[in-house]
Amino acid sequence: MSRPLVALALAALVVTGLAPLAVMLLRIEGADLAGIFDARTASLLGRTLLLGIGTAAMALLVGLPFGFLVARTDVPGAGVLRALGVAPLFFPPLILAMTWCVLLPAFRGAPAAIFVLGLSTFPLVAVFSARAFERVDAAQEEAALLCGGLRAVLRMELPLALPAALCGTCLAFAFAVNDFGVPDYVSSVGVKFNVYADEIKFNWSQIRRPGKPVATALPLIVLTLGALVPALALRRRGALATLGHGFRQPGTLKLGAWRWPAFAFAAAVVLLAAGVPVLRLLWEAANMPAHVRDADASPGAKLALGWSTLREAFGLAFEKARADLRRSLLYAAAAAAACAPLGLVLGHAIERARSRAAGRALELACLLPLAAPAILFGIGIITLWNHDATARFYDSGWMAVVLLAGRFAVFPILICAGAAASFDRALEDAATLSGARPARRLGAIVAPALRGSLVAGFVLVFVFAMRDLDSAILVPAMNKTAIFRVFNGVHFGRDSYVAALSLVLLFAVVTPGLLWTLFARKRLEVLP
Amino acid sequence: MSDAVRMRGVAVHAGGERLLGPLDLDVAEGEHLLLVGPSGSGKTTLLRAIAGLAPTSAGTVELFGEPAGPPEKRGIGFLFQGGALWPHMSVAGTLRFTLRSSGVGAGDVPARIAELLEQVELTGFDARMPATLSGGEKQRLALARALAVRPRLLLLDEPLGPLDAELRAALLERLGALHRELGCTTIHVTHDPEEASRIATRTLHLRGGRLANGESKA
Repeated sequence: MSRPLVALALAALVVTGLAPLAVMLLRIEGADLAGIFDARTASLLGRTLLLGIGTAAMALLVGLPFGFLVARTDVPGAGVLRALGVAPLFFPPLILAMTWCVLLPAFRGAPAAIFVLGLSTFPLVAVFSARAFERVDAAQEEAALLCGGLRAVLRMELPLALPAALCGTCLAFAFAVNDFGVPDYVSSVGVKFNVYADEIKFNWSQIRRPGKPVATALPLIVLTLGALVPALALRRRGALATLGHGFRQPGTLKLGAWRWPAFAFAAAVVLLAAGVPVLRLLWEAANMPAHVRDADASPGAKLALGWSTLREAFGLAFEKARADLRRSLLYAAAAAAACAPLGLVLGHAIERARSRAAGRALELACLLPLAAPAILFGIGIITLWNHDATARFYDSGWMAVVLLAGRFAVFPILICAGAAASFDRALEDAATLSGARPARRLGAIVAPALRGSLVAGFVLVFVFAMRDLDSAILVPAMNKTAIFRVFNGVHFGRDSYVAALSLVLLFAVVTPGLLWTLFARKRLEVLP
Repeated sequence: MSDAVRMRGVAVHAGGERLLGPLDLDVAEGEHLLLVGPSGSGKTTLLRAIAGLAPTSAGTVELFGEPAGPPEKRGIGFLFQGGALWPHMSVAGTLRFTLRSSGVGAGDVPARIAELLEQVELTGFDARMPATLSGGEKQRLALARALAVRPRLLLLDEPLGPLDAELRAALLERLGALHRELGCTTIHVTHDPEEASRIATRTLHLRGGRLANGESKA
């Protein structure tokens, strides 16, 4: 572990991720705390808890069986379903909310928010579960198979995979309770479903007292940490455990008569979470609802009209939002590029810290920017940087990069920490004995071995930066991005242009992961 | 009396590579067959083919005069190389799980667990987790699990592999005693020809996935 490198990385983490939170905490005054225990706050907390628990339950109930089926069984098209099943995590939740609220206009309030966020976060549970089910030793599985068939296999493996699934569930909960865009959108018509994130934004934009939104957010931070700390503990307790020597990959389990029903379940999940939103957006981008209503036109003419509208809508989207899209791509790529080395240094430091307590403390510190509500993080950025002396920086694109890097650096850090835990320490010791200094060991021995994890960290930061709305909504530098334009578009009149822009944004979000999957030999290693 | 195992023209392929056979094998009921061969000779694959864990690409397998069914219906106890113990289950939990999965009624389970633990000399170890057991204790727990299904055919894959000389001798003696007590047919795989020759009734050599000439009888 290179001390200068770790110190440098820590300094970067403090400036980008921790200082915005610290500066907000310092603004709390006694009067701000008065309101956090009143009935209104309790009611908001109750609604937010309902959203978090509902989303987490849906993510677990869908993600666990989905992960098992696509990773371990002979369900038809398992590989394709597995790849497509990750897609909803890459989609901005706002876009999912948009499509489902149009398809089911009466579906609003808490059930709609839980449904949309459940669809958006189930891949977290599915990916973690799939990896856990793949890591059951073949001989252990065969021992269960011999004594009771597939049922015994499931009963034996479920407790082994459950910690990983719960780890994903905790993350789903944390994402849900901090989401602002989806509850706000599904409440824009009909039943109002206010949650904590709404309240924080309201307190900031209406009252303009910096301490008030922070004080309001404190219970939510506790709630989020209450979900994220167990997730870390589960990771450490072997939820994503390294494999022992002599591990043999388990074979494909045969479902027999359940093969096609299982396929129907997995395909329905992918269709609901990814297929329907994309198809609906295409339908809207082609303005098909209007063309279909045209009684005089033949089906062929309607399709031709739709195709023509689709091309126009995409043309308009590129013309009007080209600069915003370019800015989104630049900011996201720059933030991801900055976070990757941070992930390597701090992730390695977490695993190789001299004392366990120091490693844990560092891990928790890295987690804080994500544990704080996104909207509060954005307010912290404003409070920290919106001064005369830093005005030029605050208004520039660099501000956006710092915001996104500070918020999402935790992904590559935890991914690299997991990978470093699986990395044979003897390889580093051998380099030490040959005289390599810590920084050289990190660069020449550890980094090449963790390449797949570093790229996975880059892709995750890029994806979340591209789809981030909540932390960006109040920061001027982030107000000229593609997702912000979509947000404005859906609130001020939806048309084929907004749908086309959403599709362009979706394509831009999935592109790096898609390119890596298509052309790189090494797979993305999000989990060790 | 029918053969416990009757294999005709059995072959196993994986990824286009031949791992085993084609071979014929007969094992009489009550026999303790020692199957010897170097690493990679196909010993484990042969056991897995008998158990139904390795799909055969050719040939037929009959057990006790019947065509072999799915793995869990074959009445086979399998002691896996390295034990393959379930890390999240205690000693008693492992046996309880095996017994319940193989259809033993809940009321009979405690007595059967006690009996099995006594058979493998692990009485009092009920609450211990696999990670806290020594190498010999782990192998005996794996043996107890294999015996829990009251197997008509016991398959032992390098059962003495990870143990030191003293423990090997003790476990070998236990295996011999159990074979005499239970009378179940046993196929014992090892790379060491000396390992179990004194308790085996017959020894076969496997090389390159085929049974070599020079079968020897004890």
